[in-house]
Amino acid sequence: MRRPPLARLSLAAVAAAFALGPLALFAGAAGAAPGPFQTTRHNAGTPNSSQVTRDASGQIISYGDKWITYNAPSPALTQLGQALYMENCASCHGTKANGVPAAGTVGAYPNLVGLGPATIDFWVVSGRMPAADPAAVQAPRRQPRLTPTQAEAIAAWVNSLSPSYPYIPDPHLKRANVATGMALFALNCAACHTIEGDGDALAYSTFAPSLRHIPAYQVAEAIRTGPGNMPRFTGNLSDQQVNDIVDYVTTYIQHPQNPGGLGLGQLGPVAEGFVALVVGLGILALVAYWIGERA
Amino acid sequence: MSDVAGAATTKRARRNGAGRYGRLGQVVNELDDRLGVAKGGRTFLDKIFPDHWSFMLGEIALYSFLVLLVTGIFLTLYYVPSSAVVTYHGPYLPLDGQRVTQAFASTVNLSFSVRAGLLMRQMHHWACDIFVGALVVHMARVFFTGAFRKPRELNWTIGVTLLTLAIANGFLGYSLPDDLVSGTGIRIAYSILLSVPLVGTYLAFWVFGGNFPGTAVIPRFFILHVLIIPLVILGLVGVHLALLVRQKHTQFPGPGREENNVVGSPMFPVFMAKTTGYLFGVSGVIALLGAFAQINPIWQFGPYDASRISYAVQPDFYMAFLDGALRIFPSWSFMGFGHTIPLEVTIPAVIFPGLLFGLAYAWPALERRVTGDHAIHHLLDRPSWRPKRTAAGVAALALLSALFIASSTDVIANFFHVSLNTVLWAMRFIVILSPFVAYPITYKICRELQGVHGAGKRKTPNLVLRTDEGEYVAEPTPAYPEDVYHELEPTPVPTFIEGAEVEAEAATPGVRVVER
Repeated sequence: MRRPPLARLSLAAVAAAFALGPLALFAGAAGAAPGPFQTTRHNAGTPNSSQVTRDASGQIISYGDKWITYNAPSPALTQLGQALYMENCASCHGTKANGVPAAGTVGAYPNLVGLGPATIDFWVVSGRMPAADPAAVQAPRRQPRLTPTQAEAIAAWVNSLSPSYPYIPDPHLKRANVATGMALFALNCAACHTIEGDGDALAYSTFAPSLRHIPAYQVAEAIRTGPGNMPRFTGNLSDQQVNDIVDYVTTYIQHPQNPGGLGLGQLGPVAEGFVALVVGLGILALVAYWIGERA
Repeated sequence: MSDVAGAATTKRARRNGAGRYGRLGQVVNELDDRLGVAKGGRTFLDKIFPDHWSFMLGEIALYSFLVLLVTGIFLTLYYVPSSAVVTYHGPYLPLDGQRVTQAFASTVNLSFSVRAGLLMRQMHHWACDIFVGALVVHMARVFFTGAFRKPRELNWTIGVTLLTLAIANGFLGYSLPDDLVSGTGIRIAYSILLSVPLVGTYLAFWVFGGNFPGTAVIPRFFILHVLIIPLVILGLVGVHLALLVRQKHTQFPGPGREENNVVGSPMFPVFMAKTTGYLFGVSGVIALLGAFAQINPIWQFGPYDASRISYAVQPDFYMAFLDGALRIFPSWSFMGFGHTIPLEVTIPAVIFPGLLFGLAYAWPALERRVTGDHAIHHLLDRPSWRPKRTAAGVAALALLSALFIASSTDVIANFFHVSLNTVLWAMRFIVILSPFVAYPITYKICRELQGVHGAGKRKTPNLVLRTDEGEYVAEPTPAYPEDVYHELEPTPVPTFIEGAEVEAEAATPGVRVVER
């Protein structure tokens, strides 16, 4: 692995202080060109396995294994992607996607070159980019400005500048083991996203977002690319494990089983105490008021 | 033939012997002939209970405790108090094949595979929340009306002990399923024990039988939770009620109610009907909550493992004030003389609750000392008549409420999209300021209420009349008959003893006056 240039790191540090934090740092790490193909877990999410498909010109169009297939964004979309990029992204990330903004605008923004199509796709398709407030500590998930195809197009163009990984993952959930997924979720994800997947506030206005209503491939993208404060899980999670986690998130986290009645927003003791005191004790106090003397 | 006639006469004789009260009366007569139950039974059935809706708040605690006992006995039939690791196999797929403790596996099994098991577990948990809540509300009623004053200090002391035991037992029971969330709670409890200066390590190792988590803690918590503490609670509840009967209930001052009498409804039939109805009401509400509102879904949390942690974990509401204090306290610690005292844990989680409950225990004596009032009181205060006591109580409640809110700093920050650090600092100020803001406001409101004419009495309508000249005159209508003072004559109580004289019915049905 090639070390990132020092200048790029220091620029990234400034950007981190301003906006998207660790994403910029990953720009350095992920920007390195993939080394020779290996079959270790240490660069899971890169084409290290046997199932690599190439097109006529020798370009990798998909790789992966029986649990996750990583697909390159369609090269046919590159031209559309460039137009969309110039419209929506260039004012901050610069016309060369290297984080140097267009003349006349102020700021230092993350370098996008070499981040891999999954990162670009995730930020755009989850509505975080184009940012509503570029000065915000953390961009929240919101209604996407661009369609999934447009996001893929931008990813295709940025990737064409310097081909890199990971590609956009496509998890095969039918092969997943939900029990392993739950154990891995409790070990790796619950510390920030909570065991119920509701997400919660972290320090200094950062937060772990809720995991509800997120398509499976985006969960896999987040795990493999580590957006924002989230760690980038590559070496410690195999494709099979990521597939298990994604399966658990898209089934039992997004559709929790509440055989006990109302789920009370999956909020735990805060909501339960509220119900016990206001509903339970409140009704009983009203009954006492009804059958007792009031003078 | 003669046999049949004999049987007939016996039947008729029996019917005659039964008298006015039928078969039941006969049974009671038979019992009385042998055990002499009539005298004690009559005293009991004629016991007078002053009636006010706020006097029933303690009954919520009593009846939810009964629900706790019944549902708890059901749960012990299926729960396995063991830290032995087994592989779970069951209908909940995300846990299928996971290595869990027997405690966790049996709790999930009783939730999913035992008929009515989940309902019982949820009723048990809801009953616990309502039990502790009712204890606090009942305690507030006793405090604000001055019912703890001489001669009832002992009962106040027992009450504070009951609250402490209830909170402790609630925490122990919450820990028993050994799920991810409660395991985190045990971890915190272990750290709190460790933080006790000088003896902390010995204390923690003594309670846990070694280092955390160990395998001793689940069986130990179990036996404390299902046997030792419930027995102590049961005994103290017995003494609490016996003292209540012995000392007779307090009453609010009012027409005919004096220090030397008790005005209210007799045990039978009025109070018994109300309280039995209330028993069903309390169990009904708990059953409805257990059936329709999910509580503590441990299958979503998974088993506890020291390497796993979930964010946004709160304890049950009655422990939340401690959690809040721990969250907002600055990270101070003392190191020296070969010892470390983690003040950031010792002060909020050991010293603060010690002071709080110490103050609760000492309050009757403190108030006697400050006011110099050593008289015997059977008449209650209205809260506005004792502005300083009321303000002190509200200040304490405000402090506890602020700490309660501080235990969900992360939920607040996430919900309102503010920085967690801002919320933390805000809560530090709010917690410290809340009693100082609550005290003068309450004091002022009490003083204002004292000046309001007819406060605490029902309002009567004014009649507005228009004269022939077009002038409007407002005439107050007379007070309600029940609000007008009149001397109540003690009415003799009807007897249930066969053959004794039955006296005339009371002038006011249901109300009776007896000497203390």
